[in-house]
Parts: sequence; structure tokens; C-alpha cells
Amino acid sequence: MRPSLLLPALCLASLSLSAALASAAALERATAASASAAAKSTTSSAQAIAAATDDLRSSQKNIVRVTVTSQSYDFSRPWSKRAPAARRAIGAVLPGGRVLVTAECVANANYIELENPDGNRKEPATIECVDYEANLALLKPDSAAFLDGQPGIGFEGTRIGDSLAVVQLEANGQVQSSSGKVTTAEVTRYPIDDSSFLVCRLSVPLQMRDSMLSLPVLKDGKLAGLMLRYDSQSSLLDFIPAIVIQHFLKDAKSTPYKGFPRMGCSFSPTRDPQLRRYLALNGNNGGVLISQILRGGPAEKAGLLKGDVLLEIEGNPIDSDGNYKDADYGRVSLSHLVSTKHFEGQKAKVKIWREGKSLDLEVPVAKRKPEQYLSEPYVIDRAPQYFVLGGLVLQELSRQYLKEFGADWSRKGPLELVQLDRIQSELPDDGTKRLVVLTRVLPSDVTVGYEDLRNLLVTAINGMPLTSLADVPKAMAKATDGLHRIELKGDPSLIFLDAKAAEASGPALQRAYGLPSLSRLE
Amino acid sequence: MHNRSLPPLLLLGIAAFTSLAGLPSAQSAEPSPIRKSLARISNTAQEPNYKQPWLPGFTGSSSGTGWVVSKDRILTNAHVVSNARFLTLEKENDPKKYIAEVEHVAHDCDLAVLKVQDPTFFTGTLPLELGSIPDIETEVSVYGYPIGGERLSVTRGVVSRIDFRPYAHSGIDSHLTIQIDAAINPGNSGGPVLQKGKVVGVAFQGFSGDVAQNVGYMIPTPVIRRFLEDIKDGTYDRYMDLSLSMFNTLNPAMRRGLGLPNDDRGVFVSSVASAGVCNGHVKPGDVILAIDSLPVASDGTVELEGERVQMAEVAERKFKGDSIRLILWRNRAQTEVTVPLSHAWPFAMQSNQFDVLPAYVLYGGLLFQPLSRNLLSTVQFQNPRLSYLFEAFVPRELYKDHPEVIVLSAILADPINTYLSEFKDGVLEAVDGTPVRTLADVAAAFAKSADFHVLKFIGNGRPLVLERSVVDAARERIRTRYGVRQEQLLETAAR
Repeated sequence: MRPSLLLPALCLASLSLSAALASAAALERATAASASAAAKSTTSSAQAIAAATDDLRSSQKNIVRVTVTSQSYDFSRPWSKRAPAARRAIGAVLPGGRVLVTAECVANANYIELENPDGNRKEPATIECVDYEANLALLKPDSAAFLDGQPGIGFEGTRIGDSLAVVQLEANGQVQSSSGKVTTAEVTRYPIDDSSFLVCRLSVPLQMRDSMLSLPVLKDGKLAGLMLRYDSQSSLLDFIPAIVIQHFLKDAKSTPYKGFPRMGCSFSPTRDPQLRRYLALNGNNGGVLISQILRGGPAEKAGLLKGDVLLEIEGNPIDSDGNYKDADYGRVSLSHLVSTKHFEGQKAKVKIWREGKSLDLEVPVAKRKPEQYLSEPYVIDRAPQYFVLGGLVLQELSRQYLKEFGADWSRKGPLELVQLDRIQSELPDDGTKRLVVLTRVLPSDVTVGYEDLRNLLVTAINGMPLTSLADVPKAMAKATDGLHRIELKGDPSLIFLDAKAAEASGPALQRAYGLPSLSRLE
Repeated sequence: MHNRSLPPLLLLGIAAFTSLAGLPSAQSAEPSPIRKSLARISNTAQEPNYKQPWLPGFTGSSSGTGWVVSKDRILTNAHVVSNARFLTLEKENDPKKYIAEVEHVAHDCDLAVLKVQDPTFFTGTLPLELGSIPDIETEVSVYGYPIGGERLSVTRGVVSRIDFRPYAHSGIDSHLTIQIDAAINPGNSGGPVLQKGKVVGVAFQGFSGDVAQNVGYMIPTPVIRRFLEDIKDGTYDRYMDLSLSMFNTLNPAMRRGLGLPNDDRGVFVSSVASAGVCNGHVKPGDVILAIDSLPVASDGTVELEGERVQMAEVAERKFKGDSIRLILWRNRAQTEVTVPLSHAWPFAMQSNQFDVLPAYVLYGGLLFQPLSRNLLSTVQFQNPRLSYLFEAFVPRELYKDHPEVIVLSAILADPINTYLSEFKDGVLEAVDGTPVRTLADVAAAFAKSADFHVLKFIGNGRPLVLERSVVDAARERIRTRYGVRQEQLLETAAR
């Protein structure tokens, strides 16, 4: 399927941030495997090093090691965190005393430490701004003096065919540079499900050191991008290009951070001649069919309709695959034009084809925040909410919870919940902000008979429909005859809980199952 | 309720084996009377072809065991004779092969009876007598023609356990089952298990050796007797099913909430399948206190002939036309209803089907088929929505809007459909604005004249557009290129 989506399509292939550690481990294995390959390419890389000598001097001044100790939450036991793990990266020093790394590196960070290339100074740092969708984070050292003597690096745009250098640090502080050529640029998947931005691809043999999650990519001593992923078998490195980073940095200057806007619609190609004849598009040769409009989103506000054909954005003709001709990168998906070349609050001028006539509209592009989803696509740096009601564990449905069922969660996860996550944008709007799920039961004398219940949607408690987990305490206050009446979707459709006994069971449950608290609702 | 989760059970027909020639015959001295009642069954079977439904399916041979149950009938497992195109019987010490036909087959309890064309088959045979449920730990002998030789084989073991278990053949049914520890191997299927000269069961399934050892299952005599009783009127009406989903009332708060006294009785009715027999008699939220005068415990069991069994066992023993009396707790008062048992589990798509020609519509190289367990097990679908539609078909009552779930299961590549690959595995929602409920709706929509046919798929905002003139022009080309003999078959037909 070709169409890239402006609207979250909830694609099922996923590489979650919480899986970042796993991918780090994979990279480590890849390193061992590629060691011999790298040895073979020593002669060619010697030349590359020579060519890049000028870069090295400036780059050594402008890189730091970054070590992150992170601890993610276990969404299947929302009261506890997983064991801490370390991640390493090379960050790029930016003017103004900031360090740039990928967001993957700092996801769920407990402690971030910077180290100068010589390895003789270390400094704690905090996250100043992070965008998990664009996979970028800006770090600020606790003491600004740490970066004295490192003035920061400027940016340089990339074109296909450019020769770029990827820099790493040897243990002794020496900069190791490997160079290669940019082969392609296309809008493709970033680590968070449902986010796609421009990615440039570099063909470069790389001996990965220290299983780095993020490495700077340089052009003539300036920052061309940050490594997004590396495949040691094909020696292909994907990187986040400067244009995406610069958008992030511009947004990072203002609070609150706004981020990359979208149109709030999805489109599909119109290459099929039968479809073009049906849409009476014969006179034209481009355009994409708007196949879905996000409820309450920018496209809806602008008056776009499902079935419209999008012909132009800001005067750029859109071809039948949804690409426009970018001055730097050639044919690129229109989503780059919308997301990276616009800022929230701006309007995108579009030309559409509707009922045989063309029409000009202005779309007030805006970012779709994770909180605006019914099932959040990711929950990072935030503790999962939960509520233990007499042993019944209630949580909100999120993609992060489903991912606890493993890499194959879309097949192995609870069918009903996976389906709800998948079709969330198709559900009617009934005011529900979050779906509340009875995820499991901590057996106690209060829950006799309910031990095997898991992953059931809770629709109402004591007659009050739930619009989010925060409604649970309010609903509990409405117990009648000393009973909580809990309505579920599925089998069973209804259970009761003794209100007094449920409340009294709290301390015993906390003791028995080691719960630090019976709920977390912030 | 039907049990839809299955352990990796093996059916015990032999699909293919190498014969180990030259083994001495052990039982030549005293011909046991039992061997006069046994037959080796060879089945040349042809599977339905779901990938190319206009073509016949794969043909293979398998074998199993059968035995004389009455003066002119052979009893065996349904899976031994499923999809049969040609069946032969062989008796011990008789070189002749007798041609047989299936007289009645019960896929829901894996039993079948066969007729033999040549009546001389029964000369000298002795019908075996049916016994009762054997006691645990008592010894039984299994007779049959398993792998490892050509002649009759006998193994011995004890009755390990009596339980309500899934029957692997249909994929969705569970009935009373007896587990024995005698070696049961492929080929034993359909063979009698005897105790004191009487049949106490029919060997039918087991586990592969790497899952569990010495675990074999037999169909006990109540199930066999029920089958023989059901076919007395000349048709097999299948097991009756209440089509309810139920939940325990063990929790004291649950009991108080439902207004039940503290007497450990009653199961809560979560849902009533609207296509099932209880619809109109039982409502979701009712509590079943008793079934046919037997008190139902709070965990859903009843005491039947001294054993605690699932409440479903009461319905299991009934026949079409019988009825069941339920004492219900509704609105905090007792009420009694009588449920006429008019039909069996109404959702055939959920079970394995045999001896059928799969229904389909082929249009513009697009193959549309109703979703079924057979289809799911043959075609590798990438659309996870399909497994949801299959699993939720009954619990979410999807059959109300989609009595058949129509899937675009394959695309026969042609210039006219080269841009349509993203629609494969999609579920058809509407054609030309008319909702699709059955395959017949699809055929009817394509039969109408139109410049364009516009197909809408569930969850896909992009329409699939077929230009009538283009499809018509490609029709012969697709038929010829792919050897399509017939472009549609609207009802899944029995062969």
C-alpha cells in the first residue's frame, strides 16, 4: 500500500520507544557481525578519514558522549517500573550550549550524563524539549560551563548524491569518521507508530561502537542530520535530515512546544485509470483522493470532504501517488510539505477537485496531540494511570498497554482491545475521552469468582458511563445498597463488588501485592 | 456453550504411511470373535478447494477403523470418511474389498455410519454390543488398524479420566470424552474400545508425542447412543445448543446485587445469541436456577447421575423437537420458561466444514468468498480485522448485519486490477451503495447494469471502482488465463 497518511492510520508494524533497548541490543549484535566487514573496508575508509580531516577538527569540538539511564513503566503492572537500563549516544553540540540527540535515547530517562570527547569531564543534563514523534530531543547541561570551548555546530541541507560523514568517538576520545553518499530521501516511518517524516538514506560502512542509538551526520563540518537507524547487513543508514531538526528547534524556542502540524485527513492514490474515469479526473494527471477526514481536525474545519481530490498544496501540484516536486529532494510525499514546511497556526492553501470543479481552501494545519487519541499512541515519561478497585485493576486503553503483549501484539493481544485501538477513529463520538479497561484481577476475598477476568472494557460503574479513568472515583461515590455495579462489554456483562469490603481490602491488597499506592490518576 | 479454544489434538486417521512388511501375525491361533466385527476403512478423499474454488481440491488417501454396530451398518469416526470420493472396507482374512457409502455423518460429534453395497460383507460378522461408561482405573482394550502394520492391532490401558472436552474434528464442539492410557495411534480412529466384551467407546483423537504421552481419547457410549438415536428418523439433526453465555455467581456481592439468596445456586446469563433457541425465552441478566428440575450450582454445574457436570450436558442429551425447562430468576422473582429445541448451533461458518463446494463470486479477477473457518485455515490473510470478525461473529452478534462476512480473498492479476492489490483481504461493506449482507448480494449487484461498480470496504475510505465495460472486456481473458470454469457458486453446496 503506497499512501502515506496525514492522519494516523494506526499502522500495525511498530517499533516502540520502549523497545529502544531491545534495538540497542540488536545493534550490539550487529556490531559483532559487521566487525569483519569493517576490517575489509579499512583501506577505503582510510581515504575517507583523510578526506574528512577538516571535518574532524570542528566536529571534535562539537560532539559529546551522552549516557542515559532510563526506566520505563511496566504497563501490565502499572505501579512498577522495569529495571533501569543504559543507552549511549553521541550528541551534537548546538550554539547556545545545548546538545541534540534523538528522542529514542532519552525516552523514560531517569538520569542523563554528558561527557566531553576526551573523557575527562562529565556533567548531568536535563531534557529541555523533546518530540517523540519527530524523534528529537534537546538537552541542557546543568552547568553551562561544561560546553565552554564547544561553540556549537551549524546546519547544512542535504541533497541526493552528497557525501556525508558519520562521526563516532573511540574510547581514547579520537573522532572516528565514516563517509558515504546520500542515496534517497523519502517520507517514511519514525520509531513512534503513526509518525512519518522525511528520512534521508546514506550508504556507509560503519563499525558501530558502543551500540550507539544516535550519531551526528555531518556535511562539510556542519550538521546534516542525526542517525535514525542503521542496518549493518546492507550498510544503509537512515537519518533525520536538517530540515526536520530545524523545524523542531524553531518550535522548541516557544513554550508550549507546538510540533509538526498535520492536515487531519488521509489520502489514497489515483493511479488506477478506472478510478480516474469514475472521478472524472480525465483532464488532469495528478491528485489524490481524500479517503478519510479526522473528526474535529484541520481538514474538517477547512471544509474538506471525503471524496475530494487534492490537486495542489501552496501551488505545488500533487501527483497521483501523493508526491510533489521538492526543490531539494525531488518527488517527496505531500506530508513533508504539510508537516515540515508548515508550523502550527499557519494555513496551508490547497486546491481541490470536487464535483467537476476546482476549489481553493485554506487548511489551518495543527498537530494532533497524543492526548487527542482515544487510545494514546504512546505514553513516554509519564507514569501510567491505574485504579485498583478491591482487586480489580482498571487502566486506560493505550497502544503502550497493548505493546506489553509483545512484538506481535496486534495478533496476540486481546482481540477486542486491539480492534478498538485499530478502529478508534471510526467510533462514533459519544464524549468518551479514554476507554477504561479491567485489565486483570488481583485475587482477594472481595473478588471471589472474578479471578479469571481480564482485558474487558468497562462501560459504566454504578450507572455512570465512564469517559476516562478519572471518572471512576466519582462513579464509586454512587454505590447503592453498599454495592458497586460494574458494567462490562463482553462476558460477563455485569459484576457487583461489595463497596465497604472493597475499600477495606485496600491495605491488605497493598501488602499482599506490594502496591505502593492503590491508584494513580494524575 | 461451545468451546472455541483447542489444544493441539491429533485426529487418528492415517494420511500416509510406509508399510513394514514381513511382521509375523501374532493372533493366528484363536480367532477372537471381535475381529469378525472389525473393518479397515480406506478413504480416497478430496478436499474442498478454497484457493481456486472452481477447481477440484487436493486428493489424498487415508485409512481408519470401523466396526459392525448393527446387522447392516458400520460405525466409525466422521473424520475417517470426511470428503470421501471412494470408500472401501476390508475384513480380516477376507481378500475382498467392499465398496461402502456414508449413510449418516455427524461432524459435531465425529461419528458416522456406513452402508456396504455388497450384502455378503455381513456374512459371518457379529454386531458389537454397546456398554456403559467404564469406571476410572478399569482396563480397556483398543482394536484397530493403526500405523506399524497391516493386520489388526490390540492395545490395552486403563480409563484415566472422564471429562467434557473439545472434539477436534469440527473445531468448535465439546462433548463428554474419556481419556485412556492405551496406545492410540493414527489409524485407530473409529475403532472400538472394549471392556468385558462390550464397546465402551470409539477411539478418535490424541496428542502428538511431543505434547503428552499415553493420552488417547475415546467417544463414550452416551454420545454414540445419542447419534444412533438421532439418525433413527433418517436425518441427523445435530446437537442442540442453548447458545447462551454464562458467568458464575460465586461472589457474595454478585449474589446480593442480583437479589439471590445465599444458597450457592444459579448462573448469570451474560448474553443470549439472537439466532439461538433461547432468544425470546431467556434474557441477558437472567439467572438460571434450574434446568429440567436439576438445580444449577453457582459455578454452572448440575448433578447428573451422581456426577457433577456442566449444565450444557443436559442440553447435550436432548434432540431436536425436545424442549428444556428453565427456572429463571428475573426481576428478583422466579419464573419458569420452556425452551423448544428447534435447531442446533446456528453458525456453520465457525466450524470446519466437509463435503462442500465452497461458495464464491469472481468478478474482474477479484475473488469474493464468505469468511469461514475453512477459508481462514487455507488462505493466509494479512488483515487482522478478519480474525476479529471471525472471533466476534457470535459474541458481538455481527451476523445481524453480516449473515455472511464477504472477503476479497484473492486477486487474479490482470491489467484491469493491477492497482487494486491494497484491497486484498478487505471485507466488503457495500456495492453501489447497497449494503452487502450475503454473497448473493454481491452477485446481484454485479448483475445490475452500471457504468461503474463502486465497492466499499470496511475501514477503508478509498472506494474500489470497476468500470463495467473494462471488466466485461477482460472477462474471457481472465477466464482463459486462469482456467476458471465457472465464475460463481452462490451457496456453499453439499457434494
